[in-house]
Amino acid sequence: MSVRLRDRDSAIAIRWIPKYTTLERVLHWVHTAAFLPLALTGFAIFAPWLSDIAQGAAGTHIRLIHRVAAIIFGGVPVLYAILQPRRMWMNAKEFLSFGKYDLLWLKGAFPYYVLGRHGEMPPQPRFNTGERLTAVVLVLGTIVFGITGLTMWFLKGLMPAWLFQLMLFGHDIMFLITFIMFIIHFYLAVIHPMMWQSLVSMRFGVVSESYAREHHALWYYGEKRAKEMWEAHQAAHKDQT
Amino acid sequence: MSDRLAMYIDTSKCMACRGCQVACKQWNDRRGYVPGERETRNTGSYENPLSLDPETWTRITFHELDDGERFQWLFLKEGCMHCTHAACVEVCPTHALKYGPHGIVTYERDLCNGCGYCSQFCPFHVPKLEVINRLTGEAKSSKCVFCQDRTTNGLKPACVKTCPAGALDWGERDGMIAQAQSRVELLRSAQGFAQANVYGETQLGGLGRIYVLTAPPAAYGLPENPKYPVMAAVQKVLQPLGQVAFGGTVLAAITAWIIARRNVRMEEVE
Amino acid sequence: MTNHWVDLKNSDVIMLQGSNAAENHPASFNWIHKAREDRGAKLIVVDPRFTRSAAKADLYAPIRSGTDIAFWGGLMKYIIDNDLYHKEYVVSFTNAANLIHPEYQGPEDLDGLFSGFADDDGDGFGKYDRATWTYQVDAEGKTIRDETLQDPMCVFQLLKQHYARHDLDTVSAITGCPKDKLEQAYALYASTGAPEKTGTILYAMGQTQHTVGSQNVRALAMVQLLLGNIGRPGGGVNALRGESNVQGSTDQGLLAHLLPGYLPIPTTGDPDFTAYVENKTKPGGAWSGGYWANGPKFITSMLKAWWGEHATTENGFAYDYLPKVDSAANHYHIALFEAMLAGGIKGIWIMGQNPAVGGPNARLERLALQQLDWLALNDLFQTETAAFWQAPGVNPAEVKTEVFLLPAADGMEKEGSIVTSGRLIQWRPAVAAAPGEALPDHDIITLVVRKLKELYAADAGPFADPILHLTWEYDGGPTHPVVGDLIDINKVAREMNGYALADLLGPTGAVVAKKGDTLSTFGALTTDGTTACGCWVFGGYVALAPDGEGNTLPASKRRGQKDPSGLGLYPYWGFSWPLNRRIVYNRCSADSAGNRWPGGKDLIWWDANADSGTKDAEGKPVLGKWVGNDVPDFVVTRGPAAAGGNDPFIMRTDGKGGLFAAMNEGPFPTHYEPVESPTGNALYPDRAVNPVIKIFTTNSDQSVGDALGTPDRFPIIATTYRVVEHWQAGGMSRWLEWLAEAQPDMFVELSEELAKEKGVANGQKVKVRSARGEITAVAIVTKRFKPFLINGKTVHEIGMPWHFGWGGGTDAPALATGDAANDLTPHVGDGNTMIPEYKAFLVDLERA
Repeated sequence: MSVRLRDRDSAIAIRWIPKYTTLERVLHWVHTAAFLPLALTGFAIFAPWLSDIAQGAAGTHIRLIHRVAAIIFGGVPVLYAILQPRRMWMNAKEFLSFGKYDLLWLKGAFPYYVLGRHGEMPPQPRFNTGERLTAVVLVLGTIVFGITGLTMWFLKGLMPAWLFQLMLFGHDIMFLITFIMFIIHFYLAVIHPMMWQSLVSMRFGVVSESYAREHHALWYYGEKRAKEMWEAHQAAHKDQT
Repeated sequence: MSDRLAMYIDTSKCMACRGCQVACKQWNDRRGYVPGERETRNTGSYENPLSLDPETWTRITFHELDDGERFQWLFLKEGCMHCTHAACVEVCPTHALKYGPHGIVTYERDLCNGCGYCSQFCPFHVPKLEVINRLTGEAKSSKCVFCQDRTTNGLKPACVKTCPAGALDWGERDGMIAQAQSRVELLRSAQGFAQANVYGETQLGGLGRIYVLTAPPAAYGLPENPKYPVMAAVQKVLQPLGQVAFGGTVLAAITAWIIARRNVRMEEVE
Repeated sequence: MTNHWVDLKNSDVIMLQGSNAAENHPASFNWIHKAREDRGAKLIVVDPRFTRSAAKADLYAPIRSGTDIAFWGGLMKYIIDNDLYHKEYVVSFTNAANLIHPEYQGPEDLDGLFSGFADDDGDGFGKYDRATWTYQVDAEGKTIRDETLQDPMCVFQLLKQHYARHDLDTVSAITGCPKDKLEQAYALYASTGAPEKTGTILYAMGQTQHTVGSQNVRALAMVQLLLGNIGRPGGGVNALRGESNVQGSTDQGLLAHLLPGYLPIPTTGDPDFTAYVENKTKPGGAWSGGYWANGPKFITSMLKAWWGEHATTENGFAYDYLPKVDSAANHYHIALFEAMLAGGIKGIWIMGQNPAVGGPNARLERLALQQLDWLALNDLFQTETAAFWQAPGVNPAEVKTEVFLLPAADGMEKEGSIVTSGRLIQWRPAVAAAPGEALPDHDIITLVVRKLKELYAADAGPFADPILHLTWEYDGGPTHPVVGDLIDINKVAREMNGYALADLLGPTGAVVAKKGDTLSTFGALTTDGTTACGCWVFGGYVALAPDGEGNTLPASKRRGQKDPSGLGLYPYWGFSWPLNRRIVYNRCSADSAGNRWPGGKDLIWWDANADSGTKDAEGKPVLGKWVGNDVPDFVVTRGPAAAGGNDPFIMRTDGKGGLFAAMNEGPFPTHYEPVESPTGNALYPDRAVNPVIKIFTTNSDQSVGDALGTPDRFPIIATTYRVVEHWQAGGMSRWLEWLAEAQPDMFVELSEELAKEKGVANGQKVKVRSARGEITAVAIVTKRFKPFLINGKTVHEIGMPWHFGWGGGTDAPALATGDAANDLTPHVGDGNTMIPEYKAFLVDLERA
């Protein structure tokens, strides 16, 4: 689809490519709205210097918010699976494929995102390495949080204490990983000057054609063409060094 | 600490009369048998309730020991050990459990948010969670607090006051240890208890309960060499580490932004 | 107790037999522990089961329930054979040297009987003519003694002969106690025969609740006499009473054969006051010698207390107002309920007792209650007795008894005194308010008495004087501190203590007490009606006395904590009857010359140079009196060399300790088997059971009746006992949540061996049956019971607490409920007291 400006004799046109369905966007924001309270309430329990707010009735409410948010957080993938199972499956397949371009992406991430050097990044599919890593971590997180959280919630006192301690440890580790990942995700998706389109995509479900060309070449050009372009680019660069 | 107080428990004098069990309930307004709510049943022993619980902060456990030499019926007064290095205090996220005066591990119910970590990390499985609503997670912890309202006012704990056999005492920890040692000496030399021993002097860095035992700790169901739970120590490392990691990540992101702002305007459209 | 609780700390060896003091008298262990810790004392526990007391013992010896006399007899033989008895004590203070009637014969000669037995109806039971059980006397009527203890007719030799066959093997075969344990126990306890040592024997229902219960206690008292332990610190014959004021109850005569102060109840053989006194003071009578010679003072003063101005010299002090019994035995508990069952009793007033659970053959007793026209009870809860008409299986519509439950105040809710096992009377205030309409028993009784007086005043009937003339001036008033108290219990106490009705003159003619004075000693009581005293043994208990801190107050209210001797006598704390003597028969604490025994346990001794306080004919002070740390239980000025100077047992007519002493079964305790026993009598095969007991046979062929079981159908011995968590028939503990939680269910303890035989796992329900009933209980399978080897056969014993009942009134049932152990026990009792044989009967057991 392409968006035409009202003024029909405009010189420029921006083509917008759909990336996310409405459901996906809604669920993403619901997921976010659940994740943040989860992280914050969890952090209140986790951090000793926050004991004052974790105390007494306030603390009990914090724990309740954590549980309610947890249900929502865990419910999101369930809803997704029920309402758009084929999209979920399609995305899942993409999330779980990693290759040599991903290593190159990781190598090139710092020069690209921090130093602003273009042209260093290998072609990426619909979801780039970072997005795929985020997804994997989140899926893992949902499972680990789910198991550890639910057992601590319902089986405390019914399972051996050493197992509870292990569950708590797992929950804590997962919290560290997912929250660090969230900070990075938030920075890149919202703050980073170059990445303003990712927010657009999650609000409106579309990315611009130029964005897609740059960041998701494998998706935009197709795998064969994108690879050819990359190899040609690499060859050209090699000559230049 | 020199003003540390401890409870002396002489199992060689204890007759399992349960006076301590009842005195504790009386002083601390704990419930007993409540039809339809809290019913105990005899399952083949005098022991009841079968474990500490939110209404039972101390109880007597019964153990029959036949070591071939001498038959013993052992009685142990179970309750919070008031450890020097208390896992429950270390893992409590609200400071409801604290290192209180005189070495008492105190508990303030108002501060407790019901997370239950104390009940899962104590090496003696002492604190018990009173689950008010399992769904919402509303709960409160409970355990012996050495009658902190009495002991911080110069009185002895209710159980110590009531014991008719003189098996319990309360006083400066060093004094209680000395008393235990000389009692063990007498038990070994004059009463034929070759395996009499003091428990609580060194375990876990020193406990607030000093037991005189007439048989090895295992015979009473006590861990011979209780260990500070590794996971509690891990928690203590993970918490600062995690926050440093978070802070570091935020700092890195800010730094990256500052640098990226200058370097990056828009992607260049080809 | 002849001694007292704190005194336990002075013992060198403490023997607990027929007592589980750790559970039923836990505070006693404070002192037992002190004895072990401070003086290296040893604790021996003899019990069929390894109890919480045994868990603290240095030596535990198991014995089969009902074989205590065999055990004690074996100990006596061991003591005599090994020369361990306290010679000077035995010769001087007991009747060991006395010669017995030449025609006396014992069970060794007569196959289990003594001389003088008569079985008129040939049923195997009868009574004794005691004519051959008397001392030999010389021409002047003085008892003939052989202080070398060699004469074959002297008590010592007769005793030796009586227990000659109680060697270790025989005793082991009868009791089931392994020989080595027996010997260890004997050697250890007999060591207290040394003059510098004392040992104490603590006993309770495990000794008394047998058909030979009195004989059991006789036997252990004999052991203590042989070892020289009575009347000395750390010694004594020490009954651990089963209720907090049962000592007070017996002191007050709440037994069918007594009036207050252990005065005998009048019988039909005492038709008037003169006869009553004569029958006791005549030669051979209970009051013919010893301190009981003062009996007439006590009965007179009691009658004056009860009927005041209506008791005069002319009318025999209103003696006719007292009811007379044909035989006290017909009014003991078991006989009472038999009479009730037969329909002979219209109504009964039960105060603080729960016989529906606590009575023997409880099914029979509950059926007996159904025959009453009315039942009134004072109690705190609607117990099983109050609600006997709601028992499982009973149709209330078919029960015609009218039941009145009067709410009673608890012990903490009323002012007054109680008496400990150690005769210590401690007065205490009410510390809590009684709930609702509950009143102290003394007020409930007062309300009834006032109403009775009112009714009888309106319509006297044939003989209302005993009620109308009863003194009852105890009214409290606005100044009485306890709100709602109808009478001032202090006034009742004063009457019990004794007071002067007129000025009393002493031997020199001076006034020793003014009219109205509260008397400080029963020594001041008179036979001429000038004193009133409701209970002479309590004399002085509310008289003013110093507390050692400079205060003076009624003696039993004192809490002075000084203990000058260090023996734990605490003479300023409370009042220990008689006359604040802490250890009775304490003349024995000095030797025959009045000098202290070695060992440092100095109680009293003779000081020949001390001023006795009296003057002789020339006005010179008479020297010589007993001095020391306790009030002498002896005439203070009677020296060891004087007549009676070595007769310490002042309540016996001859003042000597009775190694040979007549009771219904005979002068020496003899081993008989319990009425229900798995074995015959190994010593006297023709005489299995106590020959003087009464066997009831009411409905013995019916489900509810006096059936007796035999070993073919009921091969297992059962015993009943108490646990620390509950109190008696449960009225005061099974309704309390903290206690119900700790011990919620009826249980049965059995050995691992028996459990294996019956296929019972720990915690499983089992059924226990006797000839009289069946109950269900939780099985506690334990190492603490072991099978006994009895006369070559393996015999199992099980035990159970008797605290449980179905819960009482259905609108407010007990929290802890269960079947009553007493549904199984028999309606048979001791040959002297009729105390039921709760401790040994036969049952069978199976998985439920």
